[in-house]
Amino acid sequence: MKVLVCIKQVPDMESKFKVADSGTWYNTADLAWRMNEYDEYGVEQAVRVKEQEKEADVTVLCIGSGKVKETMKKALAMGCDRGIHIQDESVFEKEPFQIAAIIAEYAKDKKFDLIFTGMQSQDRGSAQVGVLVGETLDIPSISTIVEFEYNDGEVAVSRELEGGIKAKMTVKVPAVLTCQLGLNTPRYPTLPNIMKAKKKELLTVPVEDLQHMDARQVTEKMFFPEKKAGGLILEGEATELADQLIAILKEKSNVLA
Amino acid sequence: MEISREIYWNVGHGVWTLLPMYLLTIISIVVLVSASKKRLRLYREGLPLNRTDQLGRRIIETLKNVVLQKKVMQVSASGVFHGLFFWSFLLLLIGTALIVAQADFTDLFFDIQFLKGNFYKIFSITLDAAGIVAIITLSLLFIWRYLFRWKGREERGQYIVMHSVMMAILVTGFIIEGSRMAVTELGTPLAQWSPGGFLFAQMFSSLGEDSLRILHKCIWWLHFFLVVGFIALIPYSKFRHILTTSSNSFFSDLGEKGKLTNLDLEDEDKETFGANVVKEMTWKDIFDTDACTSCERCQDRCPAFATGKPLSPMKLVNQLGETVCNNPDANLIDIISSDAIWSCTTCRACQEICPASIEHVNKIVELRRSLVLMEGEFPGEEVMSSMEQTEVNGNPFGIGYASRGDWASELGVSTLAEENDVDILYFAGCYSSFDKRNIRVAKSFVELCQAAGLRVGILGKEEKCCGEPMRKMGNEYLYQTLAAENIEKIISYGVKRIVTTCPHCFNTLNKDYRDLGLAGVTVQHHTVFLEELLTSGKLAIKAEPLSCTYHDSCYLGRHNDIYEAPRAVLKSAGATLVEMEKNREEGFCCSAGGGRILAEEKLGERMNIKRVEMAAALGREVLVSNCPFCLTMFEDGVKGAEVEESLKTRDIAEILAERIN
Repeated sequence: MKVLVCIKQVPDMESKFKVADSGTWYNTADLAWRMNEYDEYGVEQAVRVKEQEKEADVTVLCIGSGKVKETMKKALAMGCDRGIHIQDESVFEKEPFQIAAIIAEYAKDKKFDLIFTGMQSQDRGSAQVGVLVGETLDIPSISTIVEFEYNDGEVAVSRELEGGIKAKMTVKVPAVLTCQLGLNTPRYPTLPNIMKAKKKELLTVPVEDLQHMDARQVTEKMFFPEKKAGGLILEGEATELADQLIAILKEKSNVLA
Repeated sequence: MEISREIYWNVGHGVWTLLPMYLLTIISIVVLVSASKKRLRLYREGLPLNRTDQLGRRIIETLKNVVLQKKVMQVSASGVFHGLFFWSFLLLLIGTALIVAQADFTDLFFDIQFLKGNFYKIFSITLDAAGIVAIITLSLLFIWRYLFRWKGREERGQYIVMHSVMMAILVTGFIIEGSRMAVTELGTPLAQWSPGGFLFAQMFSSLGEDSLRILHKCIWWLHFFLVVGFIALIPYSKFRHILTTSSNSFFSDLGEKGKLTNLDLEDEDKETFGANVVKEMTWKDIFDTDACTSCERCQDRCPAFATGKPLSPMKLVNQLGETVCNNPDANLIDIISSDAIWSCTTCRACQEICPASIEHVNKIVELRRSLVLMEGEFPGEEVMSSMEQTEVNGNPFGIGYASRGDWASELGVSTLAEENDVDILYFAGCYSSFDKRNIRVAKSFVELCQAAGLRVGILGKEEKCCGEPMRKMGNEYLYQTLAAENIEKIISYGVKRIVTTCPHCFNTLNKDYRDLGLAGVTVQHHTVFLEELLTSGKLAIKAEPLSCTYHDSCYLGRHNDIYEAPRAVLKSAGATLVEMEKNREEGFCCSAGGGRILAEEKLGERMNIKRVEMAAALGREVLVSNCPFCLTMFEDGVKGAEVEESLKTRDIAEILAERIN
């Protein structure tokens, strides 16, 4: 059984973001990098499949500069067997369709039974790559899974829908699954596994070998949302506050009219 | 008349006395030695550890703790009783040895008797006094233990046997002496030199000589059987502490206080880290379990135990001991329970008071290392998340690393990247860099340095968490990663002096980083540094009255023995200090040590509230501390204890900064 898990290295969301001079992406100075949160659920689920199906082999794939190997090492330390690093200095300029095409190009002859991706990336947030990989490979894909069970070639999942509703689905492998918060709690790598990860196979492939698709979308501009009127904090005694609130509501709204 | 007594009076000195006597003595010693050998094999199950270096210091330490009973006597009442009992028993042992030496050696072979004349008088009265003191102290200890202390203790049966054997040895000794004196000494001036025996002799004076001789002979042999029984019991009962506790004093840790062993993470052959079975502990850890006398002093001082958490340092050591003997391959974490292991704040109160030189804290950290490094387990998800945040941003809050130096942006403090010609590097630490309340402390400290004309530098965004909470939680890997990055920066800027406002950073940089290559740098905690500035006159302040109490943080106090500098600083600031009952070596942890700052306190009562209540009970206005963790816990504690109106919590630096001249 072969499993592929696709991960992305993203900036920590607590960082201070600035728009880059290009005006189409963020400036990467002073950012701390980590594995995309949703991809961590994917890695964890892939490793759990491996723990269940002993003969399973998990490949982790990541596209980006040499820096992303740090994040890949964490996936290897969590339990993935091998890594494929697709060397691409300008991955941030590629649109989801291109990214999915690169992954599909890599995966097409590898006979993966399961492909896990995050349901979206924390920085671009398009939520398209996983499902586009499925389409490109012409295999079924299920997005935003929050429960997962594998049994003898069949996968049973729950998907998260709007308003807290869940949909239960089953699919036969091969399939693509995009992972949502709540699927699992990613493990903390143990030290022996961190050590082993250093010796695991981590192949680097130039993106040019896999990229045969031109961009269909272009990022025009990246900007911070305009600041709109802020909130108002009232302080003081409860009775005074009530009077103030009534005055404001009367003045600025018609709810008391 | 010769001033002396006939040794072996009434029992005779023939072969029918000596043969069974020496035979039984030899048997009891064989029992003692062979049982001890078995235990030695148990100790050898542990990993190696060098505890035989610095022989001179070790011998002195041992003499202090054995002959002078230094550690035992740290606790009044029971400690003093133990000391008195020990010295009395020691004198009785020496007395018996002198008798044997004369009767069966010097007199027998060389016709030399030294137990005579004035020496005999002193000998006699000393031993009598020792016997009386031993009986009194043993009775007091018995009452103390049984009436007040050991309710519900499992090993009570064993202790009753031990007390009874010792008491019987002492009392039979006096019966022997009394019955002999009733025949040979009553009415002679020599009798007054044996006051204890004299009392018994008078009691027996109505008996005839024949009855006295029968009584004497029977009790003499009974006394003898009791003594050989006592020797044979040593390895099988807590009597073993006579040997093990004194030896443990010899083997005690002479290194810097509280320093943990550095795991070699480069060793590729190593497959296990930390300890979850006996054979992964050191021989000293196993020996400790035999040295434990179950005196409960550790448990009495353990803040986790005091707040209803499932940890007793004594129980943990005993559980380890039982596992060593009965189930050496068992998983220690299952036996001790991870809740107990995570409850420790590494405050060191147990270790500081232990009269048996037992090292509790490193055992707990070894168990935690196994949990974290081998299982990836933490006391809660919040802790795992803090670890991950620290991996990414170098601080457990998960705030972007680039803003680490923002607190100092308007203070005229340069980062070393901008300017490395500074007087001190202020290693601010995570709390003083990111936590609003503690940023006020950092600002106060900088103000004080500037008032003293010093140029202060910080590492700013190049600084990372010192790694202390992670290390104490067992995450040695993350600690060493963080430490290596900090050390590289500190060395690259040629820093000569580092000051911290956090005792955890201080302890880590000053002790732990040395093992990882930080050398030639003076590291100081701000209380000591400020005291120096005040004493040298570089910093001038005006004293203003302050009604306060002072909390000794565990890592400044017990881990570094810094008790007086902060008090001296407060005094020069004009403070009148009222001490809490638990102060200095006995200080009660705020709850945040041992990495617990990262964890929610879900079990038992809140430790910080308990400490705040101790402070509030004194009716002072301010609770002064020296540690960002303590300050954070107390800010929360005053709310929990509902005393936030009457008790303010401040750092020493804040008190001083308000008084800059």
